[in-house]
Amino acid sequence: MTLARLTRRALIATAGAAFAAGTLMSAALAQPLEKATVGALALSSSGPIFIAKAKGYFEKEGLDVDVKMFTSAQQVPVAVASGDVDFGVTGLTAGFYNLASKGAVTIIAAQSRDEPGFPLSAYMATNAAYDAGLKTPADLKGKRIAITTVGSTFHYMIGLLAHKHGFTVKDVTMVPLQDVPKMVAAFKGGQVDAIIAPSTVSRQLASDGAGKILGWVGDETPWQLGALFTAPKTMKDRRPLVEKFVRAYKTALAEYHAAFNGKDASGALVKGPGYDELLGIIADATKQKPEIVAAGLPYVDPQARLLVDDVVNQVKFWQSEGQVDKSLDPKSVMDLSVAGE
Amino acid sequence: MRLLVSDLTHRYDDLTVLDGIDLTLAEGEILAVIGPSGCGKSTLLGIAGGIVAPTSGSIRVEGEVPDGCLNPITFIFQDFALLPWRTVEDNIALVLEHHKLSAAERRERVDSGLRRMGLSEFRNALPKQLSGGMRQRVGIARALAVRPAMLLLDEPLSALDAQTRELLMDDFLELWRREKTTALYVTHNLDEALRLADRVCVLSRRPGRIRELVTIEVPRERRQEPSAQAHLAEVRGRLWHLMKAEAQMADREIARA
Amino acid sequence: MPDSLNPTVTPTASTAGQPVRFRGGGFTVKRHPWAALGAFAVLIGLWEGASRLGLASPLFLPPPSAVAHALAGMVTDGSLWLNLKASLARIAVGWVMGTAGGMLVGFAMGIFSTARAVGVPLVSAFFPIPKIALLPLFILWFGIGEPSKFATIGFGVFFPTVIATYSAIDQVPRNLIRMAQSFGLPWGSILRSIVLPGALPGILAGFRITASIALILVVAAEMIGAEYGIGAFVLMAGNLMQTDTLLAGVLVLSLLGLAIGTVLSQLERRLLNWR
Repeated sequence: MTLARLTRRALIATAGAAFAAGTLMSAALAQPLEKATVGALALSSSGPIFIAKAKGYFEKEGLDVDVKMFTSAQQVPVAVASGDVDFGVTGLTAGFYNLASKGAVTIIAAQSRDEPGFPLSAYMATNAAYDAGLKTPADLKGKRIAITTVGSTFHYMIGLLAHKHGFTVKDVTMVPLQDVPKMVAAFKGGQVDAIIAPSTVSRQLASDGAGKILGWVGDETPWQLGALFTAPKTMKDRRPLVEKFVRAYKTALAEYHAAFNGKDASGALVKGPGYDELLGIIADATKQKPEIVAAGLPYVDPQARLLVDDVVNQVKFWQSEGQVDKSLDPKSVMDLSVAGE
Repeated sequence: MRLLVSDLTHRYDDLTVLDGIDLTLAEGEILAVIGPSGCGKSTLLGIAGGIVAPTSGSIRVEGEVPDGCLNPITFIFQDFALLPWRTVEDNIALVLEHHKLSAAERRERVDSGLRRMGLSEFRNALPKQLSGGMRQRVGIARALAVRPAMLLLDEPLSALDAQTRELLMDDFLELWRREKTTALYVTHNLDEALRLADRVCVLSRRPGRIRELVTIEVPRERRQEPSAQAHLAEVRGRLWHLMKAEAQMADREIARA
Repeated sequence: MPDSLNPTVTPTASTAGQPVRFRGGGFTVKRHPWAALGAFAVLIGLWEGASRLGLASPLFLPPPSAVAHALAGMVTDGSLWLNLKASLARIAVGWVMGTAGGMLVGFAMGIFSTARAVGVPLVSAFFPIPKIALLPLFILWFGIGEPSKFATIGFGVFFPTVIATYSAIDQVPRNLIRMAQSFGLPWGSILRSIVLPGALPGILAGFRITASIALILVVAAEMIGAEYGIGAFVLMAGNLMQTDTLLAGVLVLSLLGLAIGTVLSQLERRLLNWR
């Protein structure tokens, strides 16, 4: 009785979803869908997840995936560690590696990267600092730079930049202000010389005349910005689930890559197949205007390949900064056996 | 010092508490004011002391003030009004602080007040460490320190138990034997009036009017003698008769309101 | 009569009578100085035990030993003192500024009815604003240096102090003021000798609250670009998901609260021994 009713409800739900997707009727009807949840931020970097969900790639694998939205990158791995969600996609921070070092999370595939030609995060100088000679990212040595928090992606970006230009993070004054609105306030108030800001924020600041964009992190120091991760326990106990999830994710990734990441001979971005449809999906999911989403779409690897060396470098960087336990083996934070690398 | 009250009326909003009071205190006279609760006794005292502004009518004083008088019209309060954070001697010194006095005189005024009230050994005590009677003695010592010309006593013994009250009445008698300070003594206790006053003013229930002014013919120092008892009993009878009628009617009016 | 059934109640020989049964007792407050410590010890013991037995994950609930270890680390590398010094300076300056301003305004509102008529609605309007929501504004107004941190704490302390002060002045017995007036004390003397000491209990009670507020707000204040400070330390540990370090910082904060409370109790005992 209960089973029958459950099955019927599942069938109706499945049928509805499948109908909405417009395909896959027969596959979905074969058996009830397995429930899974994924934590993400409402950013275009989570795009492949939104696409896999909207286009029914999860259902095709027999998964009923619920996307849970979080407001800060820090919350997502915590939710995975606590078992509130099965998977997470977000930027990699020192906090993430600390959770990984305690065996709470492990990286299973790549998310977005900072790549040349993809404007995600800008180095910005205040007008006063610009006039005083802060013209290029290399000039940031010795300057005051607002970041969100110690251990954040911004912190690592400064570390990468410093390394590239032959100085260290000790040569800049990082001012942790917890969130982007406070960073913007400090920037506008001239309390810092520079910030690293997401593309929407930096373009807004530049068009308001509040400061100058000196360059983009992707052009300066490409790196593995984000990853798909899960709990090691899930990897061990529910491996088939992980395999299905990653397969659907990779399908969406490839489609995303084809639509958004193509370049012509001159290196300019060109619209690929399904561009408008996918843009609409991401705009819906992030509740942003399509033109704003289009201006900050990150690069993803179509095969979900992780920049392993960069992840190792990240761990080593945090260890040298004293933010992550020195005993952590950088290789142990990832398990790419499913993604196949 | 004499006190002259004429056609005094006082209202709190539209509540008349005193109505057409005419009263004269002679030099050195002690006038007891009695009456039911809420008849305006304390208001009358406040007006006499200049801390309540009357609605209409006049209140004046005449005559000499004693040598070294700093505050001619001086109160003694029912609740003693001592500063709990000050010691006995500092409570007395409080009322001298804003006067230009030599350190020696200051000391002398405080000390003599303490001595007369038998408080010398408690000079460093805080009010909380004293009994009610002792606290009122501090209040009296404080009043004496300014060498007043007229004392306004607002039910000074009503917060005390019966024995303490007897002891303090003796203190008052001794004080008036030496000082002859004019006094307006508000009370609801007939015994106090009969022991201490020259005349007794009976106020009616609200709005307070003077029902009667009764003179006690026997001098204060002879009121303990057997020959005085007949007269005192008669005065007491009259006063009680007046008071009782007013108090009963006041009670009924309160019940109705 | 069946005496054996109810021997105590039977009125037998007059010499024996009946003992009066004691029926008072209970409902009184007795001091158990060791009970609180004991309870703490048991709680910590259970906590540590649960971790050792693997019932609680060290990530979700670091055992007391890990917290103690993190705390010991802070002591040995000197960061405890560095952070504590920075926070204490902010709390001290912010609290003193907020308290001085609050008492000034509170006194004005307690004494002058016009000031009160103006002040009460203003205080009611501004007091409930969460100071954390104003942080971006504070950054614009006061920068990201120490002034914005003092301002965060100062603003948080200011309004409760205003309320505590003028309420405390209302609590000053009017009869004492009348007494002083009847002895001809000038306005300033009444203020100094009667209103101020009379309001002191209420003001000191306010200090207890504002000291806690200052402690809470130092964490918020140190969100603004603080390099050192217990609040900044706790925030960083939280961002880095170092839960044992986080709890060590929280422990320091609560010990700080305890220390400030003790100091205030001493102060009250000293200043208000007349109560």
